[in-house]
Amino acid sequence: MLGPSTAWYLGVSAFLFGTGALGVLIRRNPLIVLLSLEIMLNGANLALIAFSRHASNGAGQIFALAVMAVAASEVCVGLGLVVAIHRRRLALDVDRFSELRG
Amino acid sequence: MTAGAWLCLAAPLAGALAITLAGTRISRTVAAWISTVSVFVAFAGAVWSFFGLRAHGSEHPALTTAWTWLQSGDFKVGLQLLVDPLSTMMMLIVSGVGGLIVLYSIGYMHHDPEERRYFAYMSLFVFSMLLLVEGGNLLLLLVGWGLVGLSSYLLIGFWHERPTAVAAAKKAFVMNAFGDATMALAFFVLIAHTHSLAFATDFNVHLSSTATNLIALGLLGGAAAKSAQIPLHTWLPDAMEGPTPVSALIHAATMVTAGVYLIARTHPIFEQARTVELVAAGMGALTLLVAGLVALVQTDIKRVIAYSTMSQIGYMFLGAGLGAYANGMFHLMTHAFFKALLFMAAGVVIHALDGEQDMRNMRGIGAQLRWTKLAFLVGSLALVGLPPFAGFFSKDSIIAAALHAHWYGVILWVVALVGTFLTGLYTFRMYFIVFGPGEARTRHYGEGPWTMLLPVGVLSLLAIVGGWIQFAPIWTPLTHWLEPVARTLPVAEPTSFQEGLSSALAVVLGLAGIGVAWALYAGRRPVPRWAGLQRTLEHKFYFDEAYDALFTRPAAALASMLRDGPERDWFITTPTELGDDTITVARGVRRIQTGLLRTYVLFLGGGMAVLAVVLLVTK
Repeated sequence: MLGPSTAWYLGVSAFLFGTGALGVLIRRNPLIVLLSLEIMLNGANLALIAFSRHASNGAGQIFALAVMAVAASEVCVGLGLVVAIHRRRLALDVDRFSELRG
Repeated sequence: MTAGAWLCLAAPLAGALAITLAGTRISRTVAAWISTVSVFVAFAGAVWSFFGLRAHGSEHPALTTAWTWLQSGDFKVGLQLLVDPLSTMMMLIVSGVGGLIVLYSIGYMHHDPEERRYFAYMSLFVFSMLLLVEGGNLLLLLVGWGLVGLSSYLLIGFWHERPTAVAAAKKAFVMNAFGDATMALAFFVLIAHTHSLAFATDFNVHLSSTATNLIALGLLGGAAAKSAQIPLHTWLPDAMEGPTPVSALIHAATMVTAGVYLIARTHPIFEQARTVELVAAGMGALTLLVAGLVALVQTDIKRVIAYSTMSQIGYMFLGAGLGAYANGMFHLMTHAFFKALLFMAAGVVIHALDGEQDMRNMRGIGAQLRWTKLAFLVGSLALVGLPPFAGFFSKDSIIAAALHAHWYGVILWVVALVGTFLTGLYTFRMYFIVFGPGEARTRHYGEGPWTMLLPVGVLSLLAIVGGWIQFAPIWTPLTHWLEPVARTLPVAEPTSFQEGLSSALAVVLGLAGIGVAWALYAGRRPVPRWAGLQRTLEHKFYFDEAYDALFTRPAAALASMLRDGPERDWFITTPTELGDDTITVARGVRRIQTGLLRTYVLFLGGGMAVLAVVLLVTK
């Protein structure tokens, strides 16, 4: 098998996922939150593909494609929400939208 | 002939439904006539079945199945009607006497504001009783049995604004429910062992004697409750709270005779459990004695007649228990005639005196109600059993049948003869007090309309000639008619000497009873009293008090103890506390619902992480 071993890929994948998760948790700008979400998804994708290659099984790659499709639609909705928030001249701050608190 | 049976069953039900559904759209008179006509149509159906069966021969009963009603595995019950000698005889009695009573009610209930309800109940009652006697298997019999209990409850408590009537209705219902329960248990045992509830003409299934005895005991419990035999008799005198025609219907033609019918119908089972059957006979003997004694001190005219009913049903139980089913059924028939007559004649008096039921206040009424006095006399003589009145023929053959059961039978025989003396005494005590000389009270209604007098007249006639259809041992068409269904046991067939001896003694003792009653009550002499005995009798041998102490009070005490103890502490407090605690917990848990996206993500991620760790560790 050419290239680095699977562990490296998984390491990078975990790093990407962690970065993304951190971004989702600590950033307040919805745009950045969405970006971080994308990074998390891509981290997951990388893991899928790495395992796919490791197991010589194409299913992981198909999964990754499906995740990309879902990510694209999710971004559409997310950006739409951001635009809608902006149009209403509300603050672009996810912590301000907490009306569903108990 | 089966069409007649269906017609007989459907007519009263249709009448009850029509009156109920029409409500106030029909007048009271129309409702009354719908009910009367429906019961007479039923009588026509019964006559049709009777002649159909005669043409076929009484040994060929017809069982007609409308459809399969219940099915469970190999256990199957159909909606069946049975036309056989026993059921046609009961159909004729129930619908015939019942029809006369409903006709009588038109006059008697005329002033009542809730007449429509009354007539709907009356039709329902007749329907229930017909279902009981026509049902082609034990389950349908039980359905009719339960419906009779329900409609008697409705009718006894008809005057629902009287607390005593409501209490009496409840008492009757509870006592009857007890009998229904033992009967249902007997059926369960029967189903478990034979997979069938069909009427068996010979009960040859190999059953352990325990099972057979249990079944017979259960059936006897049902019969005793419905027929008011000791120890389940206390409801019957109280049931006099209902309107007088209701008393006539319950106590003469229908309900209380159901127990005798049940024994005659299921006699193959009882014959396998001979001990239980003899217990039934002993029960009858005890009841006829106790009821006869208690009747001596009653002051309410209807209660005297009620106790005499208990006593006469005691004779029927005695006969049926000894195996003389035909004699028991014969007495059932003549009793239906003269007891309905007595109740309705008493009803005329009560009606004339505007609801007065105390015999001591009735003195002198005889001068104004001459025909009623005559009818009452006929009924009384038939009850005492003097020839040529109906009671003579039926009662004496029962008494004679007792002589065949060894020493036990001799005891029963003596008790039955003492019973005839008591019958003469209490019946004519009632007659002399009610129709004795005295200053007449103002009368209110006279002898009443023709609807009341016609049934009284017809029944007077029947109370005289009704017994002539059988004079054992010379002339026994009724025994012969019932032979295919309820053949008299050979041990219960007295010789003509025994028959003659019993008849002679019964008549002499009956006359003696009348004589004593005449000496004591006809004049204005003071009646001798024995305080202790009188108190015992007035308290009806303390049965009510004993049941109160044994069952009612402990049950009430237990209930109030449970209410103040476990119920309040656990069943009421616990749910409230549970609710309060839930609210407290929810208040705390609510805090983690921050509304902040990040918190949710953290929980989500944290949860995933925990799960991952758990999976890794457990793997």
